[in-house]
Amino acid sequence: MKIVIADYGMGNIKSIVSALNYLGVDDIVVSADYETLKSADKIILPGVGSFRKAMIQIKENNLDKYLEDIVVKNGKPLIGICLGMQLLGTSSTEDGFTNGLGFVNGHCIKFDNTDLKVPHVGFNQLKTDSKFKLYDGLPAEADFYFTHSYKMVSEHQINQSYCAYGSDFIASFEYHNIVGVQFHPELSQKNGLRLLKNFIEKF
Amino acid sequence: MQSRNFRLQKVGNLNWLEKNYKFQNIAFSLDELVVLNATRNNKSIIDFAKTIGNLVNDAFIPIAAGGGIRSMGDAELLFNSGADKIVLNTVLYENPKLVELLIKRYGSQSIVASIDYKKNDENFDVYINDGSVKIDLGLEQYLHYLEKLEVGEIYLNSIEKDGTGFGYDFDTIEKFESKIKIPLIIAGGAGNESHFMDGLKYKNVSAVATANLFNFIGDGLPKARKKLIESGENLANWNVDN
Repeated sequence: MKIVIADYGMGNIKSIVSALNYLGVDDIVVSADYETLKSADKIILPGVGSFRKAMIQIKENNLDKYLEDIVVKNGKPLIGICLGMQLLGTSSTEDGFTNGLGFVNGHCIKFDNTDLKVPHVGFNQLKTDSKFKLYDGLPAEADFYFTHSYKMVSEHQINQSYCAYGSDFIASFEYHNIVGVQFHPELSQKNGLRLLKNFIEKF
Repeated sequence: MQSRNFRLQKVGNLNWLEKNYKFQNIAFSLDELVVLNATRNNKSIIDFAKTIGNLVNDAFIPIAAGGGIRSMGDAELLFNSGADKIVLNTVLYENPKLVELLIKRYGSQSIVASIDYKKNDENFDVYINDGSVKIDLGLEQYLHYLEKLEVGEIYLNSIEKDGTGFGYDFDTIEKFESKIKIPLIIAGGAGNESHFMDGLKYKNVSAVATANLFNFIGDGLPKARKKLIESGENLANWNVDN
């Protein structure tokens, strides 16, 4: 099993690598190189920080074109984590309006904090459906660790699960070979490890 | 370390904990881990970062690390070593410009503001530099100051209760919990699960922290978690077999 973590200079990569090590993945590479990404069994798009800055760095590294080719055209499984999931969508209003990779039809907006604490931080339950491969073997309302100020919403059916914080937002989606999780599986204890294992084994 | 009203008793470093408690098992009964470097003199951020790096290999929960962060370089080192958040204290007051830069670079959600306070007569005084220097702002003003800085979370520690195991400083928590709109972690004084339960009753308390149970009472923490869940507290559950 070879997993390539797409490198664009952002993101807490160390904890993802630790979790993959724990799961017994023997070949983990952090790279933005086209051939290396192409050689992966699975790709991870991590991310922490600002959407706009991330997109600039993705474009500087040509990752938008590489991932379009490898993931969208050729069907290689990819999981976007946290900001990495948001980047897979069409756009975000963080730090002005920025277009995303546009692989799925989701748009990111800030939580309105009339009654809510923002950022949304901590473990929260999901509303999932047994049809999702990601949640195989997990209880129906599993908890995962979130930390974010922007949320993804979509009017389109991208096979999503939800989390309620104020109103429902997209906690994860499984859109063909493209997977996104707003939470951090690598920081979500046994639930997160199981989800990563499911991604590795079932996609 | 266990602190007792800020008089620190050395009980061992993290390697010692790892050896004696099998850290990974304890980590599975926590939501998050806050690791504070409480060394008084010659704090080495490089050594501390190495410790954090080792911890990340075994703990799949968010780790907030702090103690002695004074520059962008210090923060960068800790983030690169696997810290998910950094805990700031003295620089919040002494160098707000740096805090702004850190937030711009790493995001609000990565910055935990640690407050050490003490009640002196009618005043709620805030202290920096390991609890040794009183600042000019009172607790309420300071909370607003930190919220304006856009820190992600507040870690509120009572100097007087810290390390006692007698329970959190609920009088103060009650007075201030509703004053801020960012997540509030209360610290200082937890000795058993009923203290956690009392803390979690407050609407605006997002998390309860303990060092005492973790360091000294064998499997106190896993047991406390189990009891809390059994009594209906809304804690994350991960009884999944991997």
